[in-house]
Amino acid sequence: MLAAAASAVPRLRLAAPSPPLRRAPGRRQWLLPRRRPLSSSVPNVTPAAGAGELEPPDLPRLANAARISLSPQQAEEFAPKIQQVVDWFGQLQAVDLESIEPSLRAGTAAGSSLREDKPETFANRDAIVEAIPSYDDPYIKVPRVLNKE
Amino acid sequence: MPPPLQAHRLLISHRRLPTPARRRFSAVSSVQSPPAKTLAPGPATSSILSIRGSLLSGERTAAEITAEYLSRLRRTEPSVRSFIHVADSDAVREAEELDRRIASEGKDALGPLAGVLVGVKDNLCTANMPSTGGSRILEGYRPAYDATAVRRLREAGAIVVGKTNLDEFGMGSTTEGSAFQVTTNPWDESRVPGGSSGGSASAVSARQCVVSLGSDTGGSVRQPASFCGVVGLKPTYGRVSRFGLMAYASSLDVVGCFGSSVFDTATILSVVAGHDKMDSTSSSQNVPDYASELVPLDSLESKPLNGLRIGIIQETLGEGVDSGVASSIKAATSHLEQLGSVVSLPSFSLGLPAYYILASSEASSNLSRYDGIRYGRQVSADDLSELYGESRANGLGHEVKMRILMGTYALSAGYYDAYYKRAQQVRTLVQESFEDALKRFDILVSPAAPSAAYKIGEKINDPLAMYAGDIMTVNVNLAGLPALVVPCGFVEGGPAGLPVGLQMIGSPFSEEIAVCV
Repeated sequence: MLAAAASAVPRLRLAAPSPPLRRAPGRRQWLLPRRRPLSSSVPNVTPAAGAGELEPPDLPRLANAARISLSPQQAEEFAPKIQQVVDWFGQLQAVDLESIEPSLRAGTAAGSSLREDKPETFANRDAIVEAIPSYDDPYIKVPRVLNKE
Repeated sequence: MPPPLQAHRLLISHRRLPTPARRRFSAVSSVQSPPAKTLAPGPATSSILSIRGSLLSGERTAAEITAEYLSRLRRTEPSVRSFIHVADSDAVREAEELDRRIASEGKDALGPLAGVLVGVKDNLCTANMPSTGGSRILEGYRPAYDATAVRRLREAGAIVVGKTNLDEFGMGSTTEGSAFQVTTNPWDESRVPGGSSGGSASAVSARQCVVSLGSDTGGSVRQPASFCGVVGLKPTYGRVSRFGLMAYASSLDVVGCFGSSVFDTATILSVVAGHDKMDSTSSSQNVPDYASELVPLDSLESKPLNGLRIGIIQETLGEGVDSGVASSIKAATSHLEQLGSVVSLPSFSLGLPAYYILASSEASSNLSRYDGIRYGRQVSADDLSELYGESRANGLGHEVKMRILMGTYALSAGYYDAYYKRAQQVRTLVQESFEDALKRFDILVSPAAPSAAYKIGEKINDPLAMYAGDIMTVNVNLAGLPALVVPCGFVEGGPAGLPVGLQMIGSPFSEEIAVCV
């Protein structure tokens, strides 16, 4: 039973474990937490060489893209944790996924079940308006969009 | 300490067991702990049926039943803190209304869930109650509509008693990520109830409500069910409408349910499942009456599980799994028809990073709607960009920000192929390996978590350690499969032992098989 299972799904070929990522001098050394290996079928923990070619997360730029204000101290706090997780994501680089189709979602959802494109009046419009923080009927108030001359 | 459910009772209610030995799942722990006392006297069978019986016979009124649950809720809340919002006056009013209708219309007034008190996870919209998603950014927000799952429960006669605590927007495995309060595990108040639907699980475990709704994106119903010793069901993706569920990861989220027995949980599923035109990913597959397939213990046939093929997932019982948990699972499966054969799922451990890439990426997109303009908390600013930045910085919690930033990174130009696309490919592998295994087995089993409930604060500073605990559950979300978690034993810890749950995974839309097992 086990032998049969082991020979099933052969497409997952694993690259040889790569050496630990060497960090450029001057960058902080993050200590990877002690993790109990959950499976021996994948070389785990070590970030693959491929991940090192990608730029590490640039927190200020990401925070701007995500529209979340981050003070420099907060960016300092977040950076190591995010780096840690991103390194851990890197283990996917070690896997040969050459001919595998990416899947958008579980195959279980219905095909396209679109409803009729017919506008309907929403019954509880008042509740929607009540939830708006800054409202000046019929406008939702926001500060100026561009703060430039 | 609030007395938890007597777990051994719910293990034997409505289960088919092979004869001749009508064995209970015995506590694996060598410490013989005294059975936990509950405040609620009552049969160890379906609470929904017993409420229905009392209402039909006139033995109790809905108002009395509601009062009993509310009183227990008030007594246990200071310690458990399952609820962000309790709608006690609404619940009392609805119960009295039901009693009036029973008096005038007789049993026609009784919907399938008449008089049943439900807790609703606070990321499901409820029109007359604040719905915060566990986040400050939605503090005080009252949605304009009920989520479909909530609406269907109400139409069946259920009484929504309140909104339960959760990790903010469903992100977390301990419920410590809530912006409002920390929920404790009714079995040991120094431990977490699990997450993200921790409040829903603890509310049922502490008998503060009869059943509850949660959501499961990476294990958020199954892991708390295991930690709190209750039944938790994650339906097939598309089985239950997500309309009104605050989106975390749209390709992974499902609405799930908790109950103190499989019968009750199955009943809830029958009520909320089904196609919804407001959710285009909801399935039109027929909804069977899940609970009708279950028979009470006293009318067991001999060897009812004959022919059922059960496979234990090899990767879930090895290194990294608590030995007490592993032996509980093995003991439980030895009670089933065959000693479960072991099956290997090759891409199992890759599912965890793939899940976190996909979930963070989708979350970064889904949570962009919390801009402080149309709803929720707003921080005023001089220009629009700053308003977004400040409102979100102020209103969103630490873990949520982390995941949004990680997701933004994984989706940014140049990184999409390295992370998001590869994670999608791993998803295909995971789906295929489950499909293969489910051709050879009807049900796959595993623990729902690698350990029993851990202490509050233990994992809060180590994100990877917390993520590692999801290894048993995330692959099921990637594949969109249904899974049921039932308590199957105990490990040492806490005043009376800590519950362990058995996870049973089936093919898409095979919930009735899992429920019968």
